[in-house]
Amino acid sequence: MTTRRSFLATLAAGAALPATGWAGLGAPVLLAAGRWPDGGFRIAGMDAGGGITFTTPLPERGHAAAAHPHRPLAVAFARRPGTFALVIDCTTGTVQARLTPPSGHHFYGHGTFSADDTLLFTTENAYELGQGRIGIWDTRDWSRIGAVDSGGTGPHDMALMPDGKSLVVANGGIETHPDSGRAKLNLATMRPNLTYLGLDGEILDRVELSDDLHRNSIRHLALAPDGTVAFAMQWQGDAAETPPLLGLHRRGAAPRLLAAPGPLHARLRGYAGSVALSQGAALVAITSPRGGVAHLFDIETGAFLHAHPMDDICGLAAAPDALVCTSGTGAVARITRDGAIHLKRHDCNWDNHLVPGPRA
Amino acid sequence: MMLRTALLALVFPCAALATPGETVRDTVENHILPRVETFAQEAQALSDAATAECTDLRPAFADAFDAWISMSHLRFGPTETDERAFALAFWPDTRGVIPRALGGLIEAEDPAASDPDSFAQVSIAARGFYALEFLLYDAALSTRGSDTYRCALVQAIATDIARLAEAIRADWDPGYARTLMDPDEQGRYRTDQEALRELYKALDAGLQFTADTRLGRPLGSYDRPRPNRAEAHRSGRSLHHVTLSLMALRDLAAHLSRDHPQAAREADAGFARALDRAAMLDDPVFAGVAEPAPRLRVETLQQSVQDIRDTVAATLAPALGVDAGFNALDGD
Repeated sequence: MTTRRSFLATLAAGAALPATGWAGLGAPVLLAAGRWPDGGFRIAGMDAGGGITFTTPLPERGHAAAAHPHRPLAVAFARRPGTFALVIDCTTGTVQARLTPPSGHHFYGHGTFSADDTLLFTTENAYELGQGRIGIWDTRDWSRIGAVDSGGTGPHDMALMPDGKSLVVANGGIETHPDSGRAKLNLATMRPNLTYLGLDGEILDRVELSDDLHRNSIRHLALAPDGTVAFAMQWQGDAAETPPLLGLHRRGAAPRLLAAPGPLHARLRGYAGSVALSQGAALVAITSPRGGVAHLFDIETGAFLHAHPMDDICGLAAAPDALVCTSGTGAVARITRDGAIHLKRHDCNWDNHLVPGPRA
Repeated sequence: MMLRTALLALVFPCAALATPGETVRDTVENHILPRVETFAQEAQALSDAATAECTDLRPAFADAFDAWISMSHLRFGPTETDERAFALAFWPDTRGVIPRALGGLIEAEDPAASDPDSFAQVSIAARGFYALEFLLYDAALSTRGSDTYRCALVQAIATDIARLAEAIRADWDPGYARTLMDPDEQGRYRTDQEALRELYKALDAGLQFTADTRLGRPLGSYDRPRPNRAEAHRSGRSLHHVTLSLMALRDLAAHLSRDHPQAAREADAGFARALDRAAMLDDPVFAGVAEPAPRLRVETLQQSVQDIRDTVAATLAPALGVDAGFNALDGD
């Protein structure tokens, strides 16, 4: 472990300067996976108006994607318990490489690049051990470098912190094994957490909620430039209880939990599918496909602002001047402080996530 | 034969009177409440038997466990309050916590075993049917420590099961039954449709649990079969649980599809196929999963359960108007 750590530390320190900027003509602003009318699964790029810029077939159902920080590349991940990740040229939609985790691991569907783009990190399940892993890949040739402990069970979403030197991982706490499909094997004893890792895998910080929330699976993340982490949760406990499904955390402080007033909050049905912060980070929003609604909050005050209904809504991402959301019915809409504005409807089912495209 | 007549009566009802509210009422009154009541009675009988004597508890254990498995798909509302369902059924136990928790109590002769309120606070893994199965059937645990303490522990678990079953029954009848049957804008279910969705989800989740967990865990992978992961294999009940769950889910599907004859016929045919395959399996604890031919029969059974799930998703869910979408019925 020490050897691998020091090796990783060297790699991480090696390329501190960003690569040359890329002028993003034709690159998508947003990326989303979905199911197409022929029954096949694809990853698609979208422009700011919700128009599709490219689509690329996926071997099986996709989940989220990670955009390269400097080049028009993205990595599309399999939905758990899948074992593919495709490196895609976002200007043409061509597949440049396919990543496969080592035997005994599967992907959870999320990942992120290092700031200098030399490394790709992926959330993985070492399922025979029931332990979460962060897989580390060399982006020069997409080879596997190794893996480190994720700090918990069921690491799902992850993000690079604004300092570029650490990662934040949503360890959802739920043990699964591919032999049992997607069945949840440890609901009675699950312990989700938010773990901060150094790029070498050192656990810097681990945050758990109170015992009565041990069934509130921390699954998805969004980051503010000041290092505030917004996390979305999925309640696995008694449906009669309606604990908050959105939290904000800054290292060194206690998490703040946010929820709309009673009956409005209950509408989310214990399930937040995506979370995003508006650019400028004034707003934070979560979506609930089960409730068919997005909830917006003021990040500064934590106040609930609005509920925007939309059938089967789930994908949510920051776009240059608004939040954009997608639905399982093919819709793409902009969400602002005041309301939802329909942009486009495509003949597909948008899957759980919408992610910002490669930056120009 | 009587069961078949009853099923046919449900499969071909007078469609003109069909309303979602009636389907919910029928399902609650004729599927859920009888099962909840039976479970409470059998659990009390188990507790009584354990109090009378600690030996020869296996028949009462079998009856109460049967009654639980026959309602174990109803995982919403009263079973979820205070984690009752997990206190009754800590399975799968992926980390082997049950024998450790029981061993700890026995070694320490923990006095919690002599007081029901204290026992309700011990590790959830030391409670419920799967813990009791260890004490009644496991070669190591059924002889560990003193007979006196082990007997006290068996009695504590049986009493606790009866208390949990009674709490579930008391919450269902009439409170939660009304919650489902009388939707309310301010209540848990705002419309009949939302109540129907809850019942449909119980059907879907029950089928998924039987296919993925009851059958999927012992199957493991072809290269690494896991017969020791079969549910309740110590008491020889693994296949029996698959059969009981399929019978219960078949009944639930029949009630839910009472207004939709085509969906009812397709679902019932699927259950008939799966139950036939289960009946022919002759492998009560899935010991054969490591051998190609017996393994194939377990895989075929698993496939037939998955087929029912696909069938009800394609026919019954849209007929009931609960096919809520790509993301809403999913989760990740």
